[in-house]
Amino acid sequence: MIETPTHTTEPIVTGSSVLGVQCVDGVVLACDTLASYGSLARFQRITRLHQPAPGVVIAGGGEYSDLQQLFRITDNIFRQEFCQEDGYELSPRALHSYLARVLYGRRSRMDPLYNSLAVAGKGRFLGCIDLYGTAFESEAVATGIGALLALPLIRKQWHAALAMDEGVRLLEECLRVLYYRDCRALRSVQVAKVSDSGEVLISEPYELSNLQWKVAQAAEEV
Amino acid sequence: MSRSHEATIPPARGFSSSSGGGLKTSTPASLELLYAAAAASDPFEGIASAMSFTKHLLMHNCDVWTPDWYNPTQDPQLGTTIMAVEYDGGVVLAADSRTSTGTYVANRVSDKITAVAPPYIYCARSGSAADTQMLADTVRRYVTALALETQRPATVRTAAALFRELIYQNKSRLTAGVICAGWDPLNGGQVYSITLGGTLVRQPFSIGGSGSTYIYGYCDASYRKGMNREACIAFCQQAASLAMARDGSSGGVLRMVCIEESGAQRLLFTEDQLPRGWQG
Amino acid sequence: MAGVGSGYDLTTTTFSPEGRVYQVEYATKAVEQSGTVIGIRCVDGVVLAVENLRGVKLLRPDSLRRIFAVDRHIGIAVAGIGPDGRHMVGRARSEAQNYRSVYAEEIPPSLLAERLASYAHVYSLYWHVRPFGCTILIGGWDASQGPCLYVVEPDGSGYKYRAYANGKGRTAVRTALNKLNFEQLTCTSAVQEIARMIHQSRDIAKDKPYELEMAWISEASDHKFARVPGALVVSSRQAVEEEPQQMETGGSTASADRGETPSTSTHIMEES
Repeated sequence: MIETPTHTTEPIVTGSSVLGVQCVDGVVLACDTLASYGSLARFQRITRLHQPAPGVVIAGGGEYSDLQQLFRITDNIFRQEFCQEDGYELSPRALHSYLARVLYGRRSRMDPLYNSLAVAGKGRFLGCIDLYGTAFESEAVATGIGALLALPLIRKQWHAALAMDEGVRLLEECLRVLYYRDCRALRSVQVAKVSDSGEVLISEPYELSNLQWKVAQAAEEV
Repeated sequence: MSRSHEATIPPARGFSSSSGGGLKTSTPASLELLYAAAAASDPFEGIASAMSFTKHLLMHNCDVWTPDWYNPTQDPQLGTTIMAVEYDGGVVLAADSRTSTGTYVANRVSDKITAVAPPYIYCARSGSAADTQMLADTVRRYVTALALETQRPATVRTAAALFRELIYQNKSRLTAGVICAGWDPLNGGQVYSITLGGTLVRQPFSIGGSGSTYIYGYCDASYRKGMNREACIAFCQQAASLAMARDGSSGGVLRMVCIEESGAQRLLFTEDQLPRGWQG
Repeated sequence: MAGVGSGYDLTTTTFSPEGRVYQVEYATKAVEQSGTVIGIRCVDGVVLAVENLRGVKLLRPDSLRRIFAVDRHIGIAVAGIGPDGRHMVGRARSEAQNYRSVYAEEIPPSLLAERLASYAHVYSLYWHVRPFGCTILIGGWDASQGPCLYVVEPDGSGYKYRAYANGKGRTAVRTALNKLNFEQLTCTSAVQEIARMIHQSRDIAKDKPYELEMAWISEASDHKFARVPGALVVSSRQAVEEEPQQMETGGSTASADRGETPSTSTHIMEES
């Protein structure tokens, strides 16, 4: 009997959108800390941000076990780099390309890693990869439902002189919208800042503030 | 997903596994004899004939009545309530004792808390009984070999990572949700949750199995950080009994294992020893 | 054929009538001719050091390497034939990575040493391979036991040491190592001691110029493999080179030691 693999079409433990924006002094990534099990908000304090080396951060959504595998793969790459001691380091762009090959390779084997990733790095690098291995660089990225709900908001407010702190506020605003409108989003979020020089700051999980529910009164039925 | 290769006649062998490992059954003696006789002639005969019988029914659309629990193509499932809680210096694991084949209770006193590296690492199993028994046996083998090779006990994290690796690499074949918990000198009491697809997450407490869905609210509301052993046991009793009361696939008795530096201790609670919630 | 082995030294598959495996012994000779290699386990870490003999003047500094990172918490120093050592390092790296991917933890240095010893041993069993012409010093940080030093020899034996030396200057260095107080020795002072030992084991008149290559896994390096800061190596070396008296006496004893003197088994073995 032929066994049809179903895990390729049915992710089990999933993360939702990740967002990223390029700023004048670095790059900002943001996502919530939820890994859902179907509609169950199963793991509420997991991290979907990963720093495999100084000056690089990966954020991912989709199947969480595959994301953990990808994090292990990148850790291995940088461990090999560490052992090499040749004075060269893998650039964020090289890592982005490498991950795109990994994802593309898996989809070509009809066994995709069910993830969408955003890669941020020093030198103002921001790239995006989906589960087919489609990869591109952009000044603003958002995956999953965030591509529909958040990306227009980022694009609208983005300007070339955007500072990282402004970028954080912009992404927070997007996460707020996602919390309102994405059934798989959570109020607890994490933000990563990667400065031009490669300084990385990943926040502890924190709760979104300034949520706006006043509209509820207006919606009251008379 | 096809599972017919897993087919067994209910109540089949190996529904429960003892803490010592191996296959220890709690099937009635008469059935055991029946099986022994069947196995003596051809170990696969019984399975094959039951299989073909059901297939025959399905394929020819025979109008033959069979009880709904008599469905040999269905895997014995640990439709389950399992949980584990960390406390300062140790962990508590808890599990109900129902193993079902469809709606038939194949084993009402099964032991879903299996030793991985006794007395310090145990796992609580949910999903397919066969799959999780195999997993627990495999991880136990790995961990034992590792302990001999490194001349030190394996860490809880290592045992959990082995479960993760096996489930992750075989995710389209296995139906297994495992909570791996234990104590080691490096990190104290730890609870790791390994879900269906092979996601591994450490949690201060974890609940699993079909019954767990009914008690997420209760657990989130009543879990407190820094509970001691007794408080953890009470928490497990309350949470698990609520799940067993509402989940048709959970029931029987409540088994627990407490693990700390001094070793592991097994606890058993029957229905009359458990708290009862509102019924209606 | 008429050499020492007289017919019994052609492969590792033939014992001599005295019960010796000559090919393996020749491999240890290759190790003894190497630049001096030292490993010391200190209270706050483990230090690996190599006297890199610069045979060719045109060679650029730092292009000779005999100390390698295996994982973040383990490094290996090679005494003997460099390429043989590099092969062992490659094997060590894959062992470390494999262990991590299966068990989700860093490989304990003791286990790595054991695995490498078994690996080396295989190469002393078959006629179609030759034993490794290198002894490797494995310095590592064990999560539960702290710093440790293991040595794997060409015959496939592995030992745990407080301190170990091999190569040309081994006799003088081993004598000096025996005088150290390992209960108090820190990595920084070990670096200075090593610079002195290597300097004093040399015959300035005959020996080629050398580079001092040093790495440690210490509290200072956050329990991770790291090169000893260049400034510390340079200052330690300068300090001993500017001690004319010491150099004179040390040098004269050392010149007698350097050569084919059989090892006096003074290395300090902690357990086997």
